[in-house]
Amino acid sequence: MDVARLRESFARVAMHGDELPLFFYSDLFIKHPEVRDLFPVSMAAQRGHLVDALVKIVSQVDSVDDLTLFLQGLGRDHRKFGAVAGHYDAVGASLLATLAHFSGPAWTPELAADWTAAYELVASVMTEAAHADEELRPASWRGKVVTCERRAFDVSVLFVRPESKMDYLPGQSVAIETPMRPKLWRYYSMANAPRPDGLLEFHIRLIDGGAVSMALTSDAIAGTELRLGPPAGVLTLKQPVSGRDLLLVAGSTGLAPLKAILDQVSGLPQPPNVRLFFGARTADGLYDLDSLEKMAAQCPWLTVTPVVSADTRFAGETGSLPEVVARHGDWPGYDAYLAGPTEMVQETVSRLAAAGMAQEHIHIEDFGWSEP
Amino acid sequence: MTSVQFDGAWLEGEGRLTPEELRTATFPLSRLGRRGYEEEPVRKFLGVVHAEFVRVLNERASLWQEVQRLRRRILAGEGGADPQAVLFGEADAHVHAVRILSTAQATADRYVADAQAYSSRVTKEARLRRDHILQEAQQHSEVILSDAHDRAREAAVTALNHPTPPRSDREWQAAQAELAYLRTYSDVYRAHLRAYTEGVLRGIEEWERKEAASFQEAPDGHADQWSIGP
Repeated sequence: MDVARLRESFARVAMHGDELPLFFYSDLFIKHPEVRDLFPVSMAAQRGHLVDALVKIVSQVDSVDDLTLFLQGLGRDHRKFGAVAGHYDAVGASLLATLAHFSGPAWTPELAADWTAAYELVASVMTEAAHADEELRPASWRGKVVTCERRAFDVSVLFVRPESKMDYLPGQSVAIETPMRPKLWRYYSMANAPRPDGLLEFHIRLIDGGAVSMALTSDAIAGTELRLGPPAGVLTLKQPVSGRDLLLVAGSTGLAPLKAILDQVSGLPQPPNVRLFFGARTADGLYDLDSLEKMAAQCPWLTVTPVVSADTRFAGETGSLPEVVARHGDWPGYDAYLAGPTEMVQETVSRLAAAGMAQEHIHIEDFGWSEP
Repeated sequence: MTSVQFDGAWLEGEGRLTPEELRTATFPLSRLGRRGYEEEPVRKFLGVVHAEFVRVLNERASLWQEVQRLRRRILAGEGGADPQAVLFGEADAHVHAVRILSTAQATADRYVADAQAYSSRVTKEARLRRDHILQEAQQHSEVILSDAHDRAREAAVTALNHPTPPRSDREWQAAQAELAYLRTYSDVYRAHLRAYTEGVLRGIEEWERKEAASFQEAPDGHADQWSIGP
């Protein structure tokens, strides 16, 4: 495989922009109409993902270790979309046809051989990872929405019972698909540690124009059957017995993963001291404060501080969440776990770092494994 | 051609954008005290330029594909085969079908994107309107409360200025009258406050119902997963 030649040829066809993935998917769907059902109505985002993945593969094709990790994740991820081994040949054929089409006279047998070898490598890593994953867990779980509680005008709390027990670490999340929005998957964190009855709690905030969040916060969601992908994510308690205290900073529904960690900690024989800051724009955005305060009343090791940023009349702490957390001290001896809007998380990270907290003690979700 | 003022009105009726219009484009100036153009017309204009750009690129790609096809045919013709017989072969038919499906998909994507942008705008407006209603209610209740406070203080000051118990029947009756007046007054205030609060609540519920109804009609959006194939 001539890597330089491969890259040069990709650079040439990539100039065609969106035409390239558009041609690829149309070619695939005409040759294999049954594959169309695996995709959502709008393919715009899908085409972007295809090009991003191709760019990543072509640029890293000679640094095998990084690429292998990426492709293994991609292979496992595609199980929940319904991808099976047979689809890989169809995709390979359409990819080659697309590249040949856009390469024009520059398409040579040598180039065709380069691309075939590259694709076979990609497909084999992906299918092997998917196959190994089959031994460990199902591709997805069906889960029935038991109850849906509307806690604020834009926040609902869903309780979902999966068909079979799902093993996960508190703080992890799963991709969710609702029958109201077929083939659209969004990641949500479980808000409880695994329970004997398997029930999962999710906190859903309505995003303006968000197709999936709208469906999940609608009143019609109770009783429907969702599909849940495999648990993923790294925002999990690192050393449950390290003896360090815990600082949890939650912005809005970023509370979910931290509440799961809190749930886990409360089951320890000797829980560490936990300081939980829960922030929202207005007081009615503190959608889960009642249950948190009830818990704090029973647990001497837990302190809950509600923070409101956009209403100075609020009786408790007011101001931006990162600022309030910094105002309360430098947090020596604490491990920090942060979740919420990206800006809020980044700002809190820099404030804690400025106060002298070491990187290894600051934990946030790394969305590298998949898009949030 | 005269220069075009991109003030929003232009966008309603005009056809395709010309290079000349681009070169001489003007925007309405922003309000006093702010520098630069009004943001919204500039955004709309950029949207038009973007759409035009996409259209030009797609046209270019189609033409390019047709040129490729014809070039292949000519080469095949030079190879000895009868050019008439292969002017539109099986491979061309497939590429043609791919093009038709691509156009259909791009159109569907456009509809979904438009519907999503619309639903996003409706939700955002609902949110702002709700915040506004709540803020108004808060201010109104503060006014009612402070008014009630003022009157109660007045009543107390009056009582302090006349600390001795009423000495005559006449004064006794006057005090009774004032007490009754204050009682009635407080009742009226309470009723007033209740009616107002209920009105506000009804307004919010109505708004929520409309909001919920609009979610039900909301369209699909885009997927958020990596995907190179099925």
